[in-house]
Amino acid sequence: MNPPDDEMERYLRQFQPRAVRALELAPKVGLTLRWRLVAAAAAGVALFAGCFLWVTRRDAHRLPPTRNVRANKANGAGERQLESPLALTRLALADNDKLESLLAEESRAELPSLQGEQSMLRALAKE
Amino acid sequence: MNLTAEEVKRLYQKHGAALAAYACSCGMDHASAEDVVQQLFLKLLAGNVAAPQTPLAYLYRAVRNASLNLSRDRQREIGLDTAELWFTHPGGNRDEVLSLQRALRELPEEQRETVFLRIWSGMTLQEIADLTDAPRNTVASRYRYALEKLRERLVA
Repeated sequence: MNPPDDEMERYLRQFQPRAVRALELAPKVGLTLRWRLVAAAAAGVALFAGCFLWVTRRDAHRLPPTRNVRANKANGAGERQLESPLALTRLALADNDKLESLLAEESRAELPSLQGEQSMLRALAKE
Repeated sequence: MNLTAEEVKRLYQKHGAALAAYACSCGMDHASAEDVVQQLFLKLLAGNVAAPQTPLAYLYRAVRNASLNLSRDRQREIGLDTAELWFTHPGGNRDEVLSLQRALRELPEEQRETVFLRIWSGMTLQEIADLTDAPRNTVASRYRYALEKLRERLVA
């Protein structure tokens, strides 16, 4: 090689390419981590949804239980039918008289009594 | 034969910076050049590409192709940042670095590749001839012409 070429080579070698960042071996790990985060988030959402459903359904079961259910429990009959409109409909189709008696029984338990010693009217009259 | 992870890492340490600068000389900005070089080495590490017989030649070609594709798109969008430095100079002379970069960009592709392989990847002319499948004399001529042009532009 010519001396001027050597000189030029030396000159060019003074310049150094700008350093590059270290080789990142992380993409696979990063990807795995990202998938784990996504899976954890999905699990969290599913758990939350599950809890929400469980609580709302539990509350839904608890909402109707007022006097009539308690009364029916005390009577030991009709509880299931009263809890479900579908059951009431079936009962109406199958045996209308039984439904009538069930509703009458419910009405007596639910509405204030106007007859007998424990009548609501008597209680009000005393006051 | 596949390259081992250690071999790939060694190649990156030795030639990563030169490859990034080479990508810049093909018209790419330095951040994108780094990304391209990283991607290439990661592909090699993952075995996603058939192990090249001459990894360095493959890397230079792949970097050039990726750079040309990307820079073609980018230049259309934002224009080339000619003030970005992809070399450093011990004296910190920014103008000198910019002059060198400009001069390198103006070289014909084959001459520029030869200069990079010789000066910043430390290959002999014979090794470059083997890498590029070109006769040694052709490589020597390319190199001589390239140095002449660089000398003219840098001295002027």
